[in-house]
Amino acid sequence: MDLALQLLFTGIGIGAVYALVALGFVLIFRATNVVNFAQGEFSMVAAYLMVVAVEAGLPYWAAFIVALLGMALLGVVFNLGVYYPLRHRTYLPVIIATIGASILLANSVLAIYGPQPQVLQGWFDTPGIQLGPVYLDSQYLLIIGVTICLVIFNFWFFEKTLLGKKLQATSQDKEIASLLGISVSTMIMITFIYSAVLGGLAGILVAPVLFVSIQMGSTIALKAFAATIIGGFGDVAGAIIGGLSLGVIETFGAAYISVPYKDGFAFLVLVAFLIFRPQGIFGERVAEKA
Amino acid sequence: MRLTRRDFAAGIAAGIAAPYLIKSAHAQGATIKIGMCAPVTGPAAESGGYAIKGAKLALEAVNKAGGILGKQAELIVEDDQTTNPGIVLAFSKLAAQSDIVGFLGSIRSTQVHAISPDVIKLGKPVMIGGTDPNLTHMGNQWLFRCRPNDSYSGRVIAEYGVSTLGKKKWAVLHSTDAFGTAGGKALTEALTKLGAPPVLDQGYANQSQDFTPVVLAIKQSGADILGSYFTFENDLGIFARQLRQLGVNIPWVGSPSIVNITALKLAGPALYNTYGVADYAEDSSEGSKAFGKIYRDAVKVAPDNQSSWTFDAINVLSAAINKAGSTDAAKIREAILSIKKFAGAEGEYNFDQNGDGLHGYNIVKNDKGNIVFDKHIEFND
Repeated sequence: MDLALQLLFTGIGIGAVYALVALGFVLIFRATNVVNFAQGEFSMVAAYLMVVAVEAGLPYWAAFIVALLGMALLGVVFNLGVYYPLRHRTYLPVIIATIGASILLANSVLAIYGPQPQVLQGWFDTPGIQLGPVYLDSQYLLIIGVTICLVIFNFWFFEKTLLGKKLQATSQDKEIASLLGISVSTMIMITFIYSAVLGGLAGILVAPVLFVSIQMGSTIALKAFAATIIGGFGDVAGAIIGGLSLGVIETFGAAYISVPYKDGFAFLVLVAFLIFRPQGIFGERVAEKA
Repeated sequence: MRLTRRDFAAGIAAGIAAPYLIKSAHAQGATIKIGMCAPVTGPAAESGGYAIKGAKLALEAVNKAGGILGKQAELIVEDDQTTNPGIVLAFSKLAAQSDIVGFLGSIRSTQVHAISPDVIKLGKPVMIGGTDPNLTHMGNQWLFRCRPNDSYSGRVIAEYGVSTLGKKKWAVLHSTDAFGTAGGKALTEALTKLGAPPVLDQGYANQSQDFTPVVLAIKQSGADILGSYFTFENDLGIFARQLRQLGVNIPWVGSPSIVNITALKLAGPALYNTYGVADYAEDSSEGSKAFGKIYRDAVKVAPDNQSSWTFDAINVLSAAINKAGSTDAAKIREAILSIKKFAGAEGEYNFDQNGDGLHGYNIVKNDKGNIVFDKHIEFND
């Protein structure tokens, strides 16, 4: 039982990271109908920005704000440089452009900052607390807390605010949204900014656990992408549930079946969903509307 | 002037032969080229940078001392991207340059396995740092190892843990790539021979984000000592932190990655009081000390095995070509195999007929972040 509790905590912690990145995938997919394969690199860039800001002598909270502002700016540049020029093309050139952007971001950071993995201290001085038989890593606690807050925020933002409803309308039907006076390009811009900030947030939160390296984004993004499909592509709640499920499944699979095949469990679940429930846990909203 | 048929034939022959003669003359007058596959990008890019610096330092010294066969030597580096497809591409690019006389392969066994068929086809000497014992025992006569192989590291880890530390309940943890699998197997075999078969033999996949299941497995096994073979330092760093956080404080004797610079930086205090087998230990010999000084002066960081093996590889290859008196691959091979009592940064090289130059390891301890040499264990079999 002690073992299961420890695994559950860790699984939820790592799953929350997948969920945050998956959320970025979903938001951009809903707004533009394309998958942004540079979403993982957003996490990596934000973690490096954080390291640079901390090394520059900024207090941790200020470095955090600077890093997130940097990500917002990256979201703008990404929208204008990668999506906007191709917005009238089919989804394929846009997807290829996001893959290209992902490679560009990774290699740009490599060229600027070098290949050395970096250590980023966590928010708290204490590494964790022992709660009975379970050790609670303070960084994982923070990640879980932030994920819960974001779930609540997303619900409020998309369901209760005018801007959120405009974003939803844009994602559901751009032409009708445009006829209703909504600036579609502005809404898409906001989506890219929010997704970049979300991806960045995931990167900054996970950096003290996984270290800051060029590869950190792609490793997380692969799992987050799987989580998105499991949850139901296009569904915000699905991304959260998919991410958390994936984290828990792979952690328990590693502990009780096989450690070397840990990644295999995640993708086994993905394949099972693609065969038996391709629309994911929460289905696909576009299909429901049709 | 009348052009005879004989004059015409001679002219044609001269015309055909001229480019080859010019090229040959140019080659004879040019530098001696050595190719190197190194991870300039990818997860091992940092250690790859150290490897290139080690090789360049050796080359500078060789050139100052008169070069190779009286010519200046030149290093041609190709990025192996820290991947198997990457090194195959990098090696094929280098192999296409016919004037490269010898090569430095990878420190990663899995990458050496990847290029091994191409090395056989090319038939030129390739110095390697990969420590999977099979590499020099699978019929490839062109691979020459400048680090001790894992049959030695496994034996040294086992010997030190059982005899010196007095521990018999071992957990063996290793990556599931060629390096980790071979290392884990060598350690398990050595422990079994010493009458202490491991209570846990656990593999893990590279680039894991979480080691909680592994740490809990070690905890549950009741092991009183841990032996490990980690391929990547970031994996080692994550594991070390989680191991300590989850309250496992048993002695830990690891493969060389446990004492390299990147691992020490990432894991910090989580690696204090651990032991490592190290092919390079600064205080282990005069050659090691000399390299340490040169490296610190030039690179401004502490030396480790990432740079010491390439330093030695260039020196061994250069010495062998000079000894052979030729760039003929077969002659260089014979010259490498005849090298005995050659003082290098990693230790004293005595090449055997398999192509292994070193036959022992150092044991070092992480004393609050400082790597302290304990003892050298050499095998003669």
